Amino acid sequence: MLPGSVTAEASGDGQRPSRLGGLTLGLLAKVAFLATVNATSIWALGQLIPEGVWLGVAFIVVSTVAIDVIYLTKARWAIPYKYLLPGTLFLVAFQAYPVVYTAYISTTNLGTGNILDKDSAIEQVVSTSVGSTESDISYAARAAGSDDGTLGLILVDETTEPPSVLVGTEEGVTEIASEDVVYDGDRVESAGDFTALTLAQAADFEQELAALEVPTEEGVIVLKTFSRAAVVGFRLQYDEATDTMTDVETGVVYRPVDGYFRADDGTRLTPGWEINIGFENYRRVLTSEAIRGPFLQVFVWNWAFAAATVALGFAVGLLLAISLDHPDLLGKRLYRALLIFPYALPSILTVLIWQGMMNQNFGIINKLTGLGTPWLTDPWMARASILIVSTWLTFPYFFLITTGALQSIPKELSEAARVDGASGPQAFRQVTLPLLLIAVAPLLIASFAFNFNNFNVIYFLNRGGPPIPGAQTPAGSTDILVSYTFRLAFESGRGQDLAFASAISILIFIHVALFSAWTFRKTARLEEI
Amino acid sequence: MKFRHGRWLLALIAALTLLAASCGGDDDGDTVEAEDAEETTTTTEAEVEDTAEAEDEAEPAEGEDEEEAAPVVRADADLVIWADDTRTPVIEPLAEAFGEDNGISVAVQEVAFDEIRDRLQTAGPAGEGPDVIIGAHDWLGQLVTSGLLAPVDLPNAGDFSSVAVEAMSYEGQLYGVPYAIENIALLRNVDLVPEAPATLEELETVALDLVESGEAEIPLAVQNDPGDPFHDFPLYTAAGGYLFGQNPDGSLNPDDLGLDSEGGLAAAAQFQAWTESGLLTPSLSYDVMIESFGEGNAPFAITGPWAVAEEDRGFKATGVNYVVEPIPPLAGTTAAPFVGVQGFMVSANAENPLFAQTFITEVMSTQDVQAALFEAGGRPPAHTAAFEEAAAGDPDIEGFGKSGVNGQPMPAIPAMGSVWSAWTDAYALILSGESTGEQAFTDAAEQIRTLIAEG
Repeated sequence: MLPGSVTAEASGDGQRPSRLGGLTLGLLAKVAFLATVNATSIWALGQLIPEGVWLGVAFIVVSTVAIDVIYLTKARWAIPYKYLLPGTLFLVAFQAYPVVYTAYISTTNLGTGNILDKDSAIEQVVSTSVGSTESDISYAARAAGSDDGTLGLILVDETTEPPSVLVGTEEGVTEIASEDVVYDGDRVESAGDFTALTLAQAADFEQELAALEVPTEEGVIVLKTFSRAAVVGFRLQYDEATDTMTDVETGVVYRPVDGYFRADDGTRLTPGWEINIGFENYRRVLTSEAIRGPFLQVFVWNWAFAAATVALGFAVGLLLAISLDHPDLLGKRLYRALLIFPYALPSILTVLIWQGMMNQNFGIINKLTGLGTPWLTDPWMARASILIVSTWLTFPYFFLITTGALQSIPKELSEAARVDGASGPQAFRQVTLPLLLIAVAPLLIASFAFNFNNFNVIYFLNRGGPPIPGAQTPAGSTDILVSYTFRLAFESGRGQDLAFASAISILIFIHVALFSAWTFRKTARLEEI
Repeated sequence: MKFRHGRWLLALIAALTLLAASCGGDDDGDTVEAEDAEETTTTTEAEVEDTAEAEDEAEPAEGEDEEEAAPVVRADADLVIWADDTRTPVIEPLAEAFGEDNGISVAVQEVAFDEIRDRLQTAGPAGEGPDVIIGAHDWLGQLVTSGLLAPVDLPNAGDFSSVAVEAMSYEGQLYGVPYAIENIALLRNVDLVPEAPATLEELETVALDLVESGEAEIPLAVQNDPGDPFHDFPLYTAAGGYLFGQNPDGSLNPDDLGLDSEGGLAAAAQFQAWTESGLLTPSLSYDVMIESFGEGNAPFAITGPWAVAEEDRGFKATGVNYVVEPIPPLAGTTAAPFVGVQGFMVSANAENPLFAQTFITEVMSTQDVQAALFEAGGRPPAHTAAFEEAAAGDPDIEGFGKSGVNGQPMPAIPAMGSVWSAWTDAYALILSGESTGEQAFTDAAEQIRTLIAEG
């Protein structure tokens, strides 16, 4: 018997917390937590292993073992990890992995036409090829089985009078003498050794029936539906030995080049398949004439938009925070609550409302003022409108932050400056503002990084418009890199170009990451003041 | 003691792990047996997204999925159908009956319309996709060139309107059973304009006079916010433009782009003239279109059946006195709207292709079912006899049908994405007065050629 439990029973009058009590509360929660984690992992492994997702399997095994070890050990080194581990695992799963995966996609040709793997693509190319070898011979058909378990088709050739009944199996077709055919109403119930299957019975052999090919002189008979079969002939045939596709009609040979079967004259067969093309997408981004056209303008505006949004949002937020910081102001709480509104509403909704208000002919702003301002159709007005809306969405955040930060700066500091003879604005600029910036600088950087990719405002306010006249590819005066990428990737000449979009995303990611790292270093110096 | 304590802990964790794992682990595997099909028809609310305005369904290539939602997982059934929220309740009883007749289990999963296409591209090859989808014919380009659809053999194709069968075909191969045809038409306010204008010139005079006299505010309510090639297409074709030339076999030739052809540029100049005369109004959104015509502030509108049928502000609901008729010609040239066809398609990765093919070609293609689909959903049937039956009881359907006779299927080639994008920009520039018609269309044609060459 455990000494602990003896004590617990013996001294059950509550002089000190019983060991069992300690176990129930803290340990039991821990045990339940770890058990849940392990159970989830086992369940997930059960799903992942049959699918062969080895990366996921490795991640789950490593992280589960790490969690078990770190939360069970009493070693001192493990204590910090008890706090860090969950966050780190989520970071890897939801931040690092998507970046790595996007980087991987950017080296492929994934997009419309190149979604399948090669084997499926070959199958599709062949099965969708039709030509003059496609005959019009079709039969009323029923799936059937013989007593010895062979699958076959009962085929009724309705072109003859009376209709002739055939049985087709993998070996071929045999005509059945009419005395061996049993009818059930119009339908053949059995023919020779074969008895028709009900659909419920046929359902069990669905895959086999779909794959059943009955050879005849005219071609292969396959089931088209459960009541019809037809002779099919495919125009294209795949030769595994040479890895080529041949058009049996014209004799043209197609060879696999860059993810498609292509003939010597360049015509290609669809679908193609996904292949790795290395840095081709990056080369295209950097060298393509068409993309480079509006790229510089988009890039410059992107910077201006992100910087101006943060600057304006911060300025307005700070101004309001200072005004509402005044001790004599009545109804402070009400104002503060009201000012949070633009932040509390879903941004897409706000943007769409602004879009309606700014409509040149029917928007409420122009209707009330009678100005006829081209808010969204003139390039410079549209840029101004974007900034108005993005400032509207950003300032409450900075208002909140600076209100808090201002209250944490001791009033004595600016009062001391005043005593030393500084004017109000001077004291603010030289004492309060630097202290404030220490607190908010990282948030300014974060806000910049967020606004740099603020697709919602750009796309839903004006779809990046108004269009730039004469641009090499469709682009708008307020397009930023993400919205421009969106156009290039999803409205491209090919359909959807996911790999290309990934390549641009990675470039934007590197760009923003480098800039953020650089500014964080800069602001680290600020803190030394 | 410490050691013993640890062992006790590990044993407890192991026991609980096994317990939890056995509770959570029984939802995979077992396929539904054919025998218990009676109770297995299910609808999965895979997606609860607000219904995009009905107009979006006719709008191709716009509004790609804005927010990624949770992936749809294939339901556990012999025959799985993906349909949107408006079609799910219509298809469900039919699918259920098919399942019961044949002793198989059927599931209709609800997926937002635009997402059916996007989801099929990821779920299909992964083996988690449906057997049958409901889709628009202009998806065919992307889906077929990506190898995601299986050809369909429709013995009674002759029963369907030829434009519908043509639309559902890609490179000479049929890929779906059409079920509804949609196109835009002219809607005329009979109180304001008792006589149908015979030509677009006449329409312009009548409409502008009504605005002049203050009886109407908007002469012709056609949405253009900022530009809208889909709704402007009948005006473009009436003025002599074409989009793509045709190969001898009837398929489209992407190398023969008509925007900057002689007819295309003339149509662009005409569009500019209409903008300058005030017939066309810049920044006119779908909302303004439906409200102005619905409240009698516009004598004419160019729009589709969705605007008639919308619940609160649709033209049926507002009680405006209107008729639906073909868009009149300009100088003898017919105005051709784009025709959009919706239908049932079979995934190339269908788990049970034979059931899928049987269901769509033998059940969904019959006149009765097509009529039932119309009854429940209100979309004009693609089946000719079912359409005639529907049109006899509904002058709106008849009017849209007559307008559609002049129409041509919206091109389905994958390059259409870039066409919509560049062409929308061109119309926006003409409407804002930023470019002349000819300049805007020449630039747009250049952009489209660049994008096609890039792709």
